[in-house]
Amino acid sequence: MSEEFEPNIVGFACNWCSYAGADLAGTSRMKYPPNIRIIRVMCSGRVSPAFILKAFQMGADGVLVTGCHPGDCHYIAGNLKCEKTMGTTRKLIDVLGIGEERLRLEWVSASEGSKFADVVTDFTNRIRGLGPLSGKSQG
Amino acid sequence: METAEIRIGVYICHCGINIASTVDVDSVRDSISKLPNVIVSRDFKYMCSDPGQELVIKDIKEKGLNRIVVASCSPRMHEPTFRMTIQQAGLNPYCLEMANIREQCSWVHEDREYATEKAVKLVSAAVAKASLLEPLEEKEVEVRPEALVIGGGIAGIQASLDIADAGFKVYLVEREPSIGGHMAQLDKTFPTLDCSACILTPRMVEVERHPNIELLSYSEVIDVSGYIGNFHVKVRKKPRYIKMDKCTGCGMCAEACIMKGRIISEFDVGMGKRSVPYIPFPYAVPSKYTMDSENCLFITKGKCGKSPACKDACSSDAVDFEQKEEIVELDVGTIVVATGFDLFDAKEKPEYGYGLYDNVLSGLEFERLVSSSGPTQGKIIIGGKEPKNVVFVQCVGSRDKSVGNEYCSRVCCMYTAKQAHLVHEKLPDAKLTVFYMDIRAFGKGYEEFYDRVREEGVRYIRGNVSEIIKKGDRLLVMAEDTLLGEPVDIEADLVVLATGIVPRRDVKEVANLLKISQSPDGFFLEGHPKMRPVDTATDGIYLAGCAQGPKDIPDTVAQAKGAASSAMTKMARGKVKVEVTTASVDTFVCRGCGRCVEVCEYGAPNLEEVEPGILVSQINDSICKGCGACSVACPSGAISMKHFKNEQILSQIEAVI
Amino acid sequence: MNSEAIVKETRAYHCLECGVCTSSCPVARVNPSFSPRLLVEKAIFGFGDEIVRDRDLWSCLVCGRCTSRCPSNVDYLNFIKEMRIEASKLGQKGLFSHDGIFNTIMELQSLSLQQKRTFWITDDLEVADEGECFYFVGCLPYFDLVFGEGGYCDVGLKPTDRARNTVRILNKMGIKPVVSNDERCCGHDLLWNGDLEGFRRLAELNLKTIKKSGAKKVICLCPEGYVTLKRDYPLYLGEQDLEVVQLYRLLADKLKEGKLNFVESGSDNPVKVTFHDPCSLGRIAEIYEEPREILSGIPGIELVEMERNRADALCCGTSGWVNCSSCSKQIQIERLKEAEATGADILLTACPKCGIHLSCAKYNSDIKIEIKDITDLIVEKMV
Repeated sequence: MSEEFEPNIVGFACNWCSYAGADLAGTSRMKYPPNIRIIRVMCSGRVSPAFILKAFQMGADGVLVTGCHPGDCHYIAGNLKCEKTMGTTRKLIDVLGIGEERLRLEWVSASEGSKFADVVTDFTNRIRGLGPLSGKSQG
Repeated sequence: METAEIRIGVYICHCGINIASTVDVDSVRDSISKLPNVIVSRDFKYMCSDPGQELVIKDIKEKGLNRIVVASCSPRMHEPTFRMTIQQAGLNPYCLEMANIREQCSWVHEDREYATEKAVKLVSAAVAKASLLEPLEEKEVEVRPEALVIGGGIAGIQASLDIADAGFKVYLVEREPSIGGHMAQLDKTFPTLDCSACILTPRMVEVERHPNIELLSYSEVIDVSGYIGNFHVKVRKKPRYIKMDKCTGCGMCAEACIMKGRIISEFDVGMGKRSVPYIPFPYAVPSKYTMDSENCLFITKGKCGKSPACKDACSSDAVDFEQKEEIVELDVGTIVVATGFDLFDAKEKPEYGYGLYDNVLSGLEFERLVSSSGPTQGKIIIGGKEPKNVVFVQCVGSRDKSVGNEYCSRVCCMYTAKQAHLVHEKLPDAKLTVFYMDIRAFGKGYEEFYDRVREEGVRYIRGNVSEIIKKGDRLLVMAEDTLLGEPVDIEADLVVLATGIVPRRDVKEVANLLKISQSPDGFFLEGHPKMRPVDTATDGIYLAGCAQGPKDIPDTVAQAKGAASSAMTKMARGKVKVEVTTASVDTFVCRGCGRCVEVCEYGAPNLEEVEPGILVSQINDSICKGCGACSVACPSGAISMKHFKNEQILSQIEAVI
Repeated sequence: MNSEAIVKETRAYHCLECGVCTSSCPVARVNPSFSPRLLVEKAIFGFGDEIVRDRDLWSCLVCGRCTSRCPSNVDYLNFIKEMRIEASKLGQKGLFSHDGIFNTIMELQSLSLQQKRTFWITDDLEVADEGECFYFVGCLPYFDLVFGEGGYCDVGLKPTDRARNTVRILNKMGIKPVVSNDERCCGHDLLWNGDLEGFRRLAELNLKTIKKSGAKKVICLCPEGYVTLKRDYPLYLGEQDLEVVQLYRLLADKLKEGKLNFVESGSDNPVKVTFHDPCSLGRIAEIYEEPREILSGIPGIELVEMERNRADALCCGTSGWVNCSSCSKQIQIERLKEAEATGADILLTACPKCGIHLSCAKYNSDIKIEIKDITDLIVEKMV
């Protein structure tokens, strides 16, 4: 492995759209950086702000939350609820000094394998550019 | 809570070379074997093969494993397979966790070292979650063999007949005094020109006579609670002030009414007049009179002459001014929503002069005008004369963002073609012009019909009408012929606006009542635009007809049969499986704040007063879909999402980093 | 410390089994499975293991009613703290509210991240980076994001109002306080939830920040922050050359000196208010009269006392963001009803957390009384 900083990225993906989109990226053999580790939830609305903060506390350098496009949620509007709680979370991590750019929310449908791969690639590169979450080693 | 020791078996699949070529399976197996609670860690060429599954079953039996982790393809692929496998070995199917090291690892990464490291993390997270998995029981609820159909238009009629024919009891609730809906108001139907009444009436009569259908006309659904299989419904039967069992439909009351001919007929959309006691149209079902309470002098003022003439005229003593509304309670297993549509109100487009000029008609008004049962017995007479020049304007209130309706109403092109044909038939010398943006003749026989109408001499001009103004006693219709690129003004004696289909005025209230959603256009939202076109977000509630979106009669009937079939499928089995991974409330912890109730789309949580002043949320797991939003909203941590509990997800986060 | 040592340290073996602790305990009244007396007895009889695994260990509100009334001077507060420290070592914890987000926020503050916690400062406020006097803001900025408008658990409050109030009042007194982005959570909740190490980390970082600013005096509005800095920092990190002052004590002095003045009342009808003594301010810090002196100095305000006030005051029902439950709610509703029974229009609190917990209980309930902070009133009326 190279000496370059390799960020730890935790992903949350909803079962119906984004996780399926991630699977499609796989079946289509698209390539993206291996830094992301996805945790499957049934709905992006299940992602508690506490999970995001915990991930940063445990040493994540970035967190990517993916859900269905607005209007496509399997549970009607879980993705919109997620958007609201992520708004709070973004402010919290900014005030904490983690930096809001380390959290990203994206809508990825089951047919958007390439979007999933692009989002992960872009986010990984950005986090790599930001460097490790400062002070992590002291934690 | 499981107190027994957690014993995990981990199985890492090579998937031939699909995984093994990128992930060092041996290394993953060895790393995982060192994790706490892991009793065995194995790799195998194809875990989903019979020998692979046998391996798991054997280990469960011999090594007393009670949690299984399979690291292979996506759980969306083989989770059901391995759940069955471990169930065969006597384990609860929910004691399985999968790690997706194919679609989300070996297939998307190239560097073997990184891919292997990632696989270890993904499997570790699965092991961490597996340690905290709890067995879950699958549950079924009974489905009552009765259905409620809301709305007695052609959609509701068709759905009711199909369900009733299958042997289930149907309660058909219709708000108006008669079933029949909009279809009853139409003259002929495109493209075959069947008389609407001729094909509808037999079905209406069938509904009335069907032993399995109980018709609740002049009634409204006011409350729906419960869930699939066990809905509890309250219906308000409005007072007709006429005894249903005594009225013979003879019409003597209407003849005698002192208001006779002074009240606007809804059925004739304002073009005909009626009495206070009325029957909406001659072939109404039920064929019983209804007192229009808003216009009845006796009901509103308490006095009508010496005594109400209608009451005196009725030889069967059916008039009953003492009648009160009645609340009927029903228990049903499924619900079909066939509440129909409203016609676009052309007054929203003042430039067309609708409501201002008597010779600008809506599409439905023209239907009544041309209908032999209508106010002119089918004679096309406007202002006492036969029109010589008739203009039809398409897309009135459809495909028009200025009035908030982006969609196509799907019937106007064809009903305009039909109406032009009817004018041509009755007034062969009349000049007929249709202004259109695009012609959508997509159904069976539609294009052919459109061709026929053009052959009959109807002039189609591509361009949307900008305004209609009065010119003497005629109308001046102004537009641009966009194919010629020049303005076109036409003087007309009659303009017919192809008014579109809009959601019912009270669609929002009905959506709230049933806890179903609306799509952005305002119509009810189907479960999936393609794969679940008659389902709603609420199990056991199905959509039929224009309530879900604009449709012509064939599509409406087809969807009604689909909705009926969906309802019947559930009732025929008599039982339905409900979601296993639902939210549950620790009632001791619950503070009864109601945030779960606010956030739930399905109405699964309810606050109940368990002791005076103490509210506790109770989640009906027959309704809960398991999205987990309530768990996030719950401030106290009282709600946990089965199979996706906080501690389970937190353990995954910890392991994955 | 093992269970035996805890019994010794907290004088638990003096227990007379009189039951005053349990009958004074607000939790025990609504949750019969919780009993301070039985906890202490279990420890005396050597069942410490059972205590550290009992979920109810985390139900104690550390309100101090038992300690203040115990005829044998058993130190229940430290008994609970030490037991929780032991339990933590075994990985035991209470049921966190809000999915544990506040605990994580506290823990994250022990990293060397550059916080932006002073976002609440408005242009009209005078603050400094260095100076004599350090205003220790506490968790208000974080509470703002969760409980304030637009937060995902909006309870109709704006917690940073209290911080702005405090600076405005201090400015009026001629004090330009130091406010720092490097301030951390004081560690109160970590300490009382048994995370001694986490507490130490935060405390050290805070002392470093305060000292770096050159301050010799720390002013706290939050009573929990106050007792933590005043009592626990010296206890765990040794004596510090710092004067820790609670805002109301400072203001009561200023009032006497004639430096805190209020507008004359414009109305003959006084506004009736009642005052909720926060546990940390009252029973723990024994600051009872100062807030009352300030209130009585404001023209047009009539203070009406609740049935239980001062040392007898009832707790606001939740502590440390753990085991907040139906029991907490019952305690809170009882307290809110007690406040309403005084006929007061406004319930004043002196602790931002009490304000949040009581407002949370009020949410979706039929309680009408307005909940405000004393500083809201001071800022409104001071000249």
